[in-house]
Amino acid sequence: MASLGAMGAGLGLAGCSRGGGGGTGGGGGGGEDGVGLTFTWWGNEVRNANTSEMIAAYVEANPGITIEEQPGEWASYWDRLATQTAGNTAPDVIQMDMAYISEYGQRGALLDLAEHGIDVSGFVEGTEASGDIEGKNYGVNAGINTPVIMVHADLLEELGIEMPDDTTWTWDDWLELATSISEASGGDVIGTSTFISNDSMLSGWLRQQGKELFVPGNEPGFTVDDIVTWLEYHQQFADAGAIPSPSQITEDSSVPLDQSMFVTGRTAMSMWWSNQLEAVEAAAGKEFAFLRFPSIAGDALQRKAWYKASMLWSVSARTAHPEESVALINWLINSTEANEIQLAERGIPANSEVASAIEPLLSDGQQRVLTFINDIVPELGETPIAPPPGGGQLSPLLLRYATDMLFGNIGAREAAEGFYDELTAALGA
Amino acid sequence: MTELATARPRTGASIARSLAKHLLLIVASLAMIYPLVWLLVSSLRPTEVIFRTPGLWLNELYIENYIEGWTALARSFDWYIVNSAIVVVGAIAGNLLSCSLAAYAFARLKFRLRNLWFAIMLMTIMLPFHVVVVPQYIVFNNLGMVNTFLPLVLPKFLATDAFFVFLMVQFIRGIPKELDEAARIDGAGHLRIFGQVMIPLMVPALATTAIFTFIWTWSDFFTSLIYLTTPDMYTVPIALSSFLDATSGSNWGAMFAMSIVSLVPMFLAFLFGQKYLVKGIATTGGK
Amino acid sequence: MSAISELSKLSTRRALSPEDRAARRKEASRDNKAGYLFLLPWLVGLFAFTLGPMLASLYLSMTDYNLIQTPSFIGLDNYARMLDDARLHQSLRVTFTYVVVGVPLQLAFALAIALLLDKGMRGLPIYRSIFYLPSMLGGSVAIALLWRQIFGTTGLVNQVLQLFGVPATTGYVSDPQYALWTLILLHVWTFGSPMVIFLAGLRQIPTMYYEAASLDGAGRLKKFLTITMPLLSPIVFFNLVLQIIGAFQSFTQAYVVSNGTGGPSDSTLFFTLYLYERGFTNFQMGYASAMAWVLLVIIAAFTAINFFAAKYWVFYDD
Repeated sequence: MASLGAMGAGLGLAGCSRGGGGGTGGGGGGGEDGVGLTFTWWGNEVRNANTSEMIAAYVEANPGITIEEQPGEWASYWDRLATQTAGNTAPDVIQMDMAYISEYGQRGALLDLAEHGIDVSGFVEGTEASGDIEGKNYGVNAGINTPVIMVHADLLEELGIEMPDDTTWTWDDWLELATSISEASGGDVIGTSTFISNDSMLSGWLRQQGKELFVPGNEPGFTVDDIVTWLEYHQQFADAGAIPSPSQITEDSSVPLDQSMFVTGRTAMSMWWSNQLEAVEAAAGKEFAFLRFPSIAGDALQRKAWYKASMLWSVSARTAHPEESVALINWLINSTEANEIQLAERGIPANSEVASAIEPLLSDGQQRVLTFINDIVPELGETPIAPPPGGGQLSPLLLRYATDMLFGNIGAREAAEGFYDELTAALGA
Repeated sequence: MTELATARPRTGASIARSLAKHLLLIVASLAMIYPLVWLLVSSLRPTEVIFRTPGLWLNELYIENYIEGWTALARSFDWYIVNSAIVVVGAIAGNLLSCSLAAYAFARLKFRLRNLWFAIMLMTIMLPFHVVVVPQYIVFNNLGMVNTFLPLVLPKFLATDAFFVFLMVQFIRGIPKELDEAARIDGAGHLRIFGQVMIPLMVPALATTAIFTFIWTWSDFFTSLIYLTTPDMYTVPIALSSFLDATSGSNWGAMFAMSIVSLVPMFLAFLFGQKYLVKGIATTGGK
Repeated sequence: MSAISELSKLSTRRALSPEDRAARRKEASRDNKAGYLFLLPWLVGLFAFTLGPMLASLYLSMTDYNLIQTPSFIGLDNYARMLDDARLHQSLRVTFTYVVVGVPLQLAFALAIALLLDKGMRGLPIYRSIFYLPSMLGGSVAIALLWRQIFGTTGLVNQVLQLFGVPATTGYVSDPQYALWTLILLHVWTFGSPMVIFLAGLRQIPTMYYEAASLDGAGRLKKFLTITMPLLSPIVFFNLVLQIIGAFQSFTQAYVVSNGTGGPSDSTLFFTLYLYERGFTNFQMGYASAMAWVLLVIIAAFTAINFFAAKYWVFYDD
C-alpha cells in the first residue's frame, strides 16, 4: 500500500524531464512548425558557455529553429556518439575530430556537406579540404591549429643557453639543444619532453622526405626502415639524458595538460598544438616562446608545415534537417558574430576575413598565435589527408613499442617491425 | 554485546589490548582518509597551484573554487544534486521492493525451475555491460525513454540488480525457518510471512541494499552519460565531468570542490543508514 | 552435550502420514504459484531489459559489427581470431593475476576489520564510516589522479622510501613490473563494501550462541571457529562469489589510472578494458561481444566451482 505509493511516486518522478531541455527551447522535435536540431560538442565549461551563447544568438536571429544542446567531455564524448549512432539517434550537428572523421565518414555516418551548400569560399588556403575523404566533404574546419614547439625561455636564459633560430634549425639541433639543457642544469631540467610517439612530429619529418603518414587507400605512407631511423634518432635522446626516463614518459603520456612535465617545469621544451597556448600558459602561470618545428634541410621554407583542423563541424548522414544543419554550420564558420563570442577558443577561424575581424578582440596569447599562423604561410606544404579508420591507433601503438624499446626490452628494429605490423593490421581491420 | 565485556574486571592486559587495537585502527584510518584529505586540501587551492604543491599544508583557504564550481555550469550545482537525488530515491525504492520479493521466492519458496532461474539471474551480472549497452539503448530508445530518468530507475523496480537479490537470499537463508513455521501455524500466508516476519528480520540486508544503491547510483557515470543527453538532466558525475577537458584546460579546483560537495550526501547516507545495520535478530533470538 | 548443540536442535522430527503427504502436495502447488508471483517483477525485468540485450550481444558476437553499419554474420570467426590475439592472452593474464591475488587479500582485510569493529567499542560508527570512505571515492577521477601521484616517480611512496635511504628511481604506476600491483592495492584499499556486508552478517549471529559458549568455557579462538565462521559462512560465500564476479569485470579503476591505455606496456590491460577498446575505440563491437561471452563462460565456471565447493564449508540453517 505505502510501498505501491512509493513505487508510483518513484516512477512518476523518473518519467519527468527536468528543465527546458537545454535552455534554448525544447527537444529535437521543435515547435509546432519549427525545426528542432540537436547539436553535440566536447569541451570544458568555458567552451560550453561560449557555445551556449552562440546558440542563443543564432536561435534569436532564426525564429523557427530550436537547438537542443548536448555538450560532453572528450573521452566519454566518443562513447556516447558511438552509442547514439548505433541506436540511430545521432545528433544533427556534430563536433568532429580528425582522428575519428574517417571512421564515421567512410562508414556512411556523416553527410557530404558539399552537396548541401556548405560555404568555405572565404577559407584560407589549405583549410577548405580538411574534412575531405575520397572526394566527399565530411567535415569543415572549425578552427586552425598547427604544431609548435613551446620553450621555457626563462629557463634557457638562466642556464645561459641561446634560443635556437627556428627558421634554420634541424632535428639534430633539437637533440643538441636538449642535451645541453640537461647537462647545464645537472639533470634538474630535462631538455625536452619526448616526441617519440608524437604523430605530428613524425608526420613533419616524413613530409620533409617526400612521404606522408597515410596515403589514400588506407595505407601507411612510410616503411619499417623509416621507423627504425626515427626510433634510433630518439634513442640518442635517451642515451644523452635529453628526454625523461621511460617510466616518466609513460606517466607524462597519461596526465592532463596541467600536470605534464613541461607545464610543471621539469622539461624545457615540448610539442603542443597552437590552440593550446593559452591553456598551457594559464596552467604554468607564465609566458612561453614558441618555435617552428625543425627541418632536415635547415630551412623553414622546406619544412612542409600544415594547417590542421583542430576540430571539424559535421552533420549526421541520417539527419532529418540537412539544410538547417548546414546553415547553422555556415553561420558558425563564416559569421563575425559567432566568432566574436567564442574568439579563438576552438582555434583560429579558417575564414580569413573573420579572423582579421576578431583580431583586435583576441587575448594577447591568441594574437601571438594568429600572427604565427599568418607568418608560416610560405612554409606550408600540401595538407595531409585525414587518418583512415584505425589510423588513430598510430600514436598509442608507437608509444607502446617505443617505451618497450626505451625500457630496454626490445631493439629498435624489433620495435619498428612490431609497430608496423600492428598498425597495418589496425588499418586493414 | 557489551554485557560480557563489562561483566569482567578491566585488567591491565585488556586495557593494553584495547589500546593496541585503537592504535592499529587509527593508523589504518589515516591510510583510508589521506586521499579524502588531499581532495579537500586541493579543493581549497587555486587550480594552477594544485599539482605544483606537494604536501597537505594549507597557507590560506581559497574558497573561490567552491563559488566557481557552484555557479560555473549552466545551472547552479544544486540543480544537479537534485537530479541525482531523484534518481537515487527511485533506485533505492525500486531495489528494496523488487529485490526482496525475488529473494523471498528464491530463498523460501519451492517452485519449478527455481534453480534454473537462479542460475540465469547470476548470469545476468557476468556479462560485461559494454556489450549490452548498445542493444539496451535501442530498447529504451524504442520505448521513448531516452533523456528521461526512466532508464536509470525503472529497471530497479524490476530487480535487475542481481547483486542485491543474491545478498538478500543469503540473509534470508540465515533466518531460522522456525519463525516462518510459527507464523504459518498462526494462519499467515506467504505475503504476510514476507511482510511481517521476513522484512523486519532482514533490516541489515535492506539497510545494506539501500546504502549501496545510494552510493553506486550516485556515482554512476556511463549509464547516465548515454541516457541523459541534455545538460538540464545531468546527474552529479556528468556535471563534474563538465569541468574537465583533456585537450584544453580543466578546472580541477572547481571540480574537486564540487566533488567534496557531492560526497557529503553519500557520507550522510552511510552515517544515517549504518544505524540500521546494527539491528538484527541478535536481540531477539527466539520468539 | 554442549549448550550450542542443544540450542540448534530446535526442530523435531515426526513421521509422515498420508494426510501430511496430501497437505504437503497442496502446499507445494501453492508454493509454486506464490513463487512465480513473488518472482514476477524480476521476470518482467529479465525479459524486458536484460535477456533481449544479452541474446542480442550473443548474436553480435558472431558478426562483424562496427556500430555504424548493419552487422554482417561471420559465424565463429571472432572466436577463432581470439586464439591468435596476443593482447587478449595478455589481458587474461593480467585479469587472472588481479582476481587470484586481489580478491582474497581484499576479503581478508574486510573480514579482519569487520571483526575488529563488531565488538561494541568507542567511536564505532566513526570508524565504520572512515573505513567505508575509500569505497565511496574508489572509482573517481580524483582518486585516479591521486593514485598516479602517490605512486609516481616523484610521488609520496618514493619520497617516504628516500627518507629511509632506499634509492627510488622508478614510478610504480608507470613501470610495467609494478603497475598492476598499484591497482591491486587500490582494490584492497576499497574493501569497504565487503566489510559492510560482513558487519551486517556478524550482527545477525544471535548473541545467545556466544553466551552459551562462554558458559561452556570456550575461548575467543574457539568461539570464532565454531560459531562465527560457520554462521557467517553464507555471507563469506556471498562475498567470495560476487567479488570474483566483479573482479573479473573490473574496469573503471584500470581505465582511469592508466588513462584508458592499459599501459604501461599493457601491464594493466584488464580484459574488460581491452574489450572496451575493441568495441568502442576500434569500432569492432562484434569481436568485443565475442570477448564478453568468453568472459561470461570463464566467470560462470568459477562461480559453478564455488557453488559446488560450498557444500563442504557453507552452513545454512535451513
